[in-house]
Amino acid sequence: MTPTEVRAAQQEGAAVLDLRTPHPFAAEHLEGALSVQFNRADLVDRVELVFPEDLPMIMHGEPEAIGKVAAKLLSDAGFNVLGHLEGGLKAWKAEGLPVVQLPTMDVDELKERMGEFTVVDARDPFEFKYGHVPGSGILSWTEAWYEADSVDDDPPIAVICGDEIRSVLVASILVRKGKKAELVTGGMVDWVERDYPIEKGMD
Amino acid sequence: MIFKQFRYEPLNQASYLVGCPKAKEAFIIDPIAGLGDDFYILEAADLGLAIVGVFETHVHADYVSCARELAEMNGCPHYLHENAPTTYEYTPFKDGDVFTVGKVDMTCLFTPGHTPEHTSYLITDKSRAEEPWAVLTGDCLFVGDVGRPDLLVGDQALDVMDEGERARTQFATINDLLFTLPDHVEVYPNHYGGSLCGGVNMSGKNSSTIYYEKKYNLAMQKPDAAAFAQFVQDTAKPLPDDYEKIKSYNLGLVEKDELQGAGV
Repeated sequence: MTPTEVRAAQQEGAAVLDLRTPHPFAAEHLEGALSVQFNRADLVDRVELVFPEDLPMIMHGEPEAIGKVAAKLLSDAGFNVLGHLEGGLKAWKAEGLPVVQLPTMDVDELKERMGEFTVVDARDPFEFKYGHVPGSGILSWTEAWYEADSVDDDPPIAVICGDEIRSVLVASILVRKGKKAELVTGGMVDWVERDYPIEKGMD
Repeated sequence: MIFKQFRYEPLNQASYLVGCPKAKEAFIIDPIAGLGDDFYILEAADLGLAIVGVFETHVHADYVSCARELAEMNGCPHYLHENAPTTYEYTPFKDGDVFTVGKVDMTCLFTPGHTPEHTSYLITDKSRAEEPWAVLTGDCLFVGDVGRPDLLVGDQALDVMDEGERARTQFATINDLLFTLPDHVEVYPNHYGGSLCGGVNMSGKNSSTIYYEKKYNLAMQKPDAAAFAQFVQDTAKPLPDDYEKIKSYNLGLVEKDELQGAGV
């Protein structure tokens, strides 16, 4: 699909799945895009866990080959794939279409500015239970699409997971649903490595 | 770190991915058109890595490279040693330059002999140790054999070094540079087994160590450069089919359609 076709479909409700890694996504992505990192092994399974089957989707991969392969994998699995973005981000920007950033902070900044954010953990409940940032709440990646509306974004949300893959997905969902959200880079791996405090259990 | 060897069996060729899972970035070394750009793009993506640099150990003569296209598609540099006489633009590096993805360092070791721009890449995984653990030896040092010095075209073939001199350079490079690396360092070559880039003693095994090659590489057991050069000549295989055409393409001297399917 050409950039203008993608934009028109977005305005009709289609979701752009950005298949790149978290950092390039945070730096710059198509307005409204959702971050779903690509791999051939379990892309279909993950999309199935996160989104409703009838959601119209458009793939954005860099290089383009990734978008093509993802479109085929997902449409073969029965998803409503409209196509992939031809020419990638470069073509999109050449048309003057909007790109946005996802604000990020590392774990040091999160610790320093703790009171200024609603900390949301995007992992599965068993991981959250094992240890999380004190005061954080859980919005598991598989529930995020359906429950994002109920999350309070005052103060703004800081999303964390083990690494960054699920947190960037949840942050992108929250932003798409109109919430103020930021990504915590380095995730719980960095938090634990620095020996920052951990809270256990589900409350 | 993430390290992956990709084998292309029709030409007994090995290319590599060197990446860092934390940085989510990777380098590709010596990509081959036989596997194709999309192959490397999808392999890297499957590992959750973005390709941020494409490197070649040298300008190849026995297979068609896809380094130019792969770099272009990923919007990243195509790196070659500054001596590489290509007609197209690349990002040049010098001996000793270090390229980094996350916790992984890749150090350029200028190892001329097979070609005048030939470079090996020393790999250090700083998440584990400051010492290197592997070296990508290209067509300098193979498992059981060494790269042949007679696959050049045009100006390179006519340059001041003749075949014998290049063989002597190869001997010095391996002895004075590669064989001074720590014994434990693993050796990952650009070819193995039946490849025509080495002689008859090349092993089908796809990796080795500095210690093992120092001890058992037949060509490197020769007492001096002259005996080595003679041995390399005596144990050489036939020249690869169409090597002049393939090398000319990889140098940018001819277009792809002139290859007529050679070297893939």
